[in-house]
Amino acid sequence: MSHKNIPLPERQRLRQKLYKKHNLANILTHWFNVASWLMLLPTGIAIISSPRLGVTPIWWQEAFRNLFGSDANLIRFHYTIGFIWIFVIFFNIFIGFRKYFVPFAVRSMLLDRDDVEWMKIKPLQMLGLMKHKPLPPQDAYNAGQKIYSYFVVLCTIGIMVSGPVMVFKNLFPPIVKQIAQPVHFVSVFVIVAWLFIHVYMGAVFPEEKEAFFSMFSGKVSAWYARAHHEKWYNEKLREELAWEDQVEREVMEADDIEEKATSLG
Amino acid sequence: MPYKNHYAFVIDVARCIDCRSCLVACSVENNVPMDHTRIWVHDQGMKGDWPNLSRTFVPYNCMHCDYPPCTEVCVSGATYKDKNSGLVLVDQEACIGCGYCVEACPYGARYIDQKRGVVDKCTACVERLEVGLEPACVATCVGKARLFGDLNDPKSDVSVALSTAKSVTRLDYEYNGTDTDPNIYYLNLPATGTIQSSDPFNQVSQATLPRDPHYTLAEEGWRKVAIPLMAVAMGGAFLVQATFFIKQLVQGEKEFEE
Repeated sequence: MSHKNIPLPERQRLRQKLYKKHNLANILTHWFNVASWLMLLPTGIAIISSPRLGVTPIWWQEAFRNLFGSDANLIRFHYTIGFIWIFVIFFNIFIGFRKYFVPFAVRSMLLDRDDVEWMKIKPLQMLGLMKHKPLPPQDAYNAGQKIYSYFVVLCTIGIMVSGPVMVFKNLFPPIVKQIAQPVHFVSVFVIVAWLFIHVYMGAVFPEEKEAFFSMFSGKVSAWYARAHHEKWYNEKLREELAWEDQVEREVMEADDIEEKATSLG
Repeated sequence: MPYKNHYAFVIDVARCIDCRSCLVACSVENNVPMDHTRIWVHDQGMKGDWPNLSRTFVPYNCMHCDYPPCTEVCVSGATYKDKNSGLVLVDQEACIGCGYCVEACPYGARYIDQKRGVVDKCTACVERLEVGLEPACVATCVGKARLFGDLNDPKSDVSVALSTAKSVTRLDYEYNGTDTDPNIYYLNLPATGTIQSSDPFNQVSQATLPRDPHYTLAEEGWRKVAIPLMAVAMGGAFLVQATFFIKQLVQGEKEFEE
């Protein structure tokens, strides 16, 4: 990367300057989602006990059935947490915090030409090819994160639709309930597959450490923004410059008025 | 058998007159909805020429198999083989009524109660067994065609009946690695010889034979397509992050700014 061209004091200044990346609504919803998944995923896996499917080890099934007292109680716990999860996520996104989430969704989901370019180069770089080729500048979320968000949104809808079908069992014909089960399963495990990458990139990968702490503080350094999300950083810079220009203009106008006032007086 | 009791029905076909009081008793005891029954009697039709006519009625209910295909497909374990009694039961609080088990049962012994959205079937009246009574169908059987008891107990009705029986038939389904070993023992079931049963015990007519278990498209697709696909996706994702994590551990973390 080009950071060696930047003098050390400038680098340190960028390191200390902070930009706000996530607002409180996003942060709280994210950690609420994490807490829900931590409760839903182990209990959900424990429910699947068909020996023909052979997904869950017996000790896991037994442990959770013993913990909750019975099969039915385990299922009740799973769908109660599930309904709370559906309600809060739905409420936050469409009612409570929609003024934060709608711009967030637009910014984080639309793909542009640079994103397509990124998707061509990045997989090859991960395999150790084309190391010399620079990655195109990225927005607040890079192309990988955008693709991830599509999967998450689609699969979340899949889970939220297929789950209640199985709970309100007397409202749906058997064929719908039969299909809902694999749909629920696939939706969950597509997200889980991505989660391995998401958790590693977010919490362990050294270059993205700031991203992890930004999920608590909401802020990232200008240095990180410049290195990983250049387009977003430039946008922030332009906003700052425009703001500075505006303040300058206002100060000058104020001075003019003052001068006129004194000359008149 | 890993179960404490080995409950079984013994049904003497020669004694059944198709009065269907067992159906009524079962419906009353178990609040079975009007359009369903847990028990049914199969009429094999008139046989022979006048005046040597014979007619056979075969009473059915859940066979409480030793190796039931229905519990194998149940996703949540809502239907299970009870560890004490060995009876095949449904926990209707956990059941969502998807019907995987209804399709899988080779005897058609299950039905979906669409009003409650659950699967229902013969429970051998466990609530009566617990207080020392016989199942309602057995207690009410006028001709004593139905008997119920524990095969592990040599003095029980069923053990005595089996030890003195002339012919015993089980409608065993034994095919493709599935062996149900049903627990209804039919006495004096006439061998019509139309179809050779896979069970060497006896020959039975086509109508009373078990069918192949059906596995629903959703269940098959889940097992054969979705699970391998998800395993590959998760394995791939895990390997990618593991590779980078190991690389990170080996190379150590680089300082980027200074």
